[in-house]
Amino acid sequence: MISKDKLKLIVTACFITLLATSSPAIATQPHGDPEGVVIHQFSHVFFIFSMGILIYWLRNRELDRQPGWREIKYSAFFLILWSAVAFVAHLLDEQLAWVITSRVDSFTMLVETTRGGPVLAWFYYIAKLDHLLCVPGLFFLYRGLARLSDFEEKKVEGGGA
Amino acid sequence: MTITWVPIIFVDVAGAFLMIVFSILSIRHAWRLIRKDPENLVWTYLLWLAVGLAGFAISRSAGHILKQVLFVSGYDPVWEHIRPVSGSLNTMLLIVVAAVTLFFNRAWHIYQGVFAERKALQGTQSELMRLNETLENRVQERTAALLIHEKRMAQTDRLASIGQLSSGIAHELNNPLGVIQGYTQLLLRGEEPASQKHQDLQVILKHARNCKTIVDDLLNFARHSKPEKTEINIHDVIDDVLIFIKHRGKMEKIRIETRFDENVVPMSMDDKKIKQVLINLLMNARHAVGEDGAIVISTAYEPEVRQIKVSVADNGYGIDAKNLVRIFDPFFTTKSTGEGTGLGLAVSYGIIKNHGGEIQVSSKPGKGAVFTVILPVNPAKDTLMAS
Repeated sequence: MISKDKLKLIVTACFITLLATSSPAIATQPHGDPEGVVIHQFSHVFFIFSMGILIYWLRNRELDRQPGWREIKYSAFFLILWSAVAFVAHLLDEQLAWVITSRVDSFTMLVETTRGGPVLAWFYYIAKLDHLLCVPGLFFLYRGLARLSDFEEKKVEGGGA
Repeated sequence: MTITWVPIIFVDVAGAFLMIVFSILSIRHAWRLIRKDPENLVWTYLLWLAVGLAGFAISRSAGHILKQVLFVSGYDPVWEHIRPVSGSLNTMLLIVVAAVTLFFNRAWHIYQGVFAERKALQGTQSELMRLNETLENRVQERTAALLIHEKRMAQTDRLASIGQLSSGIAHELNNPLGVIQGYTQLLLRGEEPASQKHQDLQVILKHARNCKTIVDDLLNFARHSKPEKTEINIHDVIDDVLIFIKHRGKMEKIRIETRFDENVVPMSMDDKKIKQVLINLLMNARHAVGEDGAIVISTAYEPEVRQIKVSVADNGYGIDAKNLVRIFDPFFTTKSTGEGTGLGLAVSYGIIKNHGGEIQVSSKPGKGAVFTVILPVNPAKDTLMAS
């Protein structure tokens, strides 16, 4: 059996040896160019997941049958669509590079595709109009909250709990 | 393909503005919700969501507007410097919004728990208040009932004592009166009817009979005469009494109304004595209403307690509160001297008690009086024995 004192001595000796013999460490990991778009794409996927879960919870509790919460569900739906479209657009131009855009002049652009041809070019062009999805998303959020606050105000005035 | 930027630029800039506007309006309404109910965690969650989305919308919109301005003005390289910062900020805020969104379930559960506790607390509080109120009402009712009961008990005790006293005196007077009547009648036989002595003896006999009537009344009050019971219908008894009363005159202008309960069952009573009671009550009522008034006689059968209530109500001058407690005392009267002996109600009281019943009175001065006779349909044997 090794005594406690001997064990302590061995552990201390190992620790000192490790410290003394280690080469200069590269403690921080470099974050290169593709990492930015990858994390941004992750954020879109996470956002889609969260909004999807929110819709599930609202349906599960039948809140989407009540005014206010119904509009919030629509908001989540439009934001999912927007996030998905944005994800695809980022995928096409920044990750897969199937679509390459360049400026011809101040008001004209050139859309080139390495795959998919003009259909993909048109799809990409339409996907760049993603505000057509996220603006309704925020509009429905505003309407939902407005209806909820109006409903609560009436409830308080009416003396409801 | 070569295509115009214009729709993209237009939708980008206009959309960016609209996102800022709607996200700020969302914060405003979420804040309204919080102000209505600051303890509601779901509203707090919605405020966080609105603030997160507003932060993202402002960051993204500012970037998009700036990008379009720089592109249109030909400063594309500048945007290349700004892009990483704007993009990172957008990414970060998008993750924040997504993370906040996931707290809905937790916020909902916590609020439901708080809401349920609050509701239970409110329910308990209302129940306590209701119980407290009920308790107060019950205490008041019981106290009032106890006071009435105590008053009745005191009156019963007092009347019982008076009854004993009256009974003793009546017994003592009954025999001498019998002797006086007997000897007077004997003396009358030996006198000429036209003689002064005969007339004097007639006066003695008349007053001796009056005294005998009073003594009999006192014995009735003291419940010494046993009722001779037969099966009677109280409505028939009342009808007979009303015919008798109406024939005594001065009743033309008095409206007499009867409200008979058809469910009243026949009962075993001494009809002569019950008639005497009703006559006493009706004569008193007639006296109270004067020449122009209303008297209502009503009956009610209470099958649960097997008793019949006969009420005689008038709209006369009523009885003062101080007199109510003495109303059944022998020789107590509010009538002028010579109008009554003060034995009517005392005798009625004795008769009803002798039948195992109760007689009650309620009155407000100026608003008439109600005398209620409560008679058992089958008086218990022990009650009769005791009386």
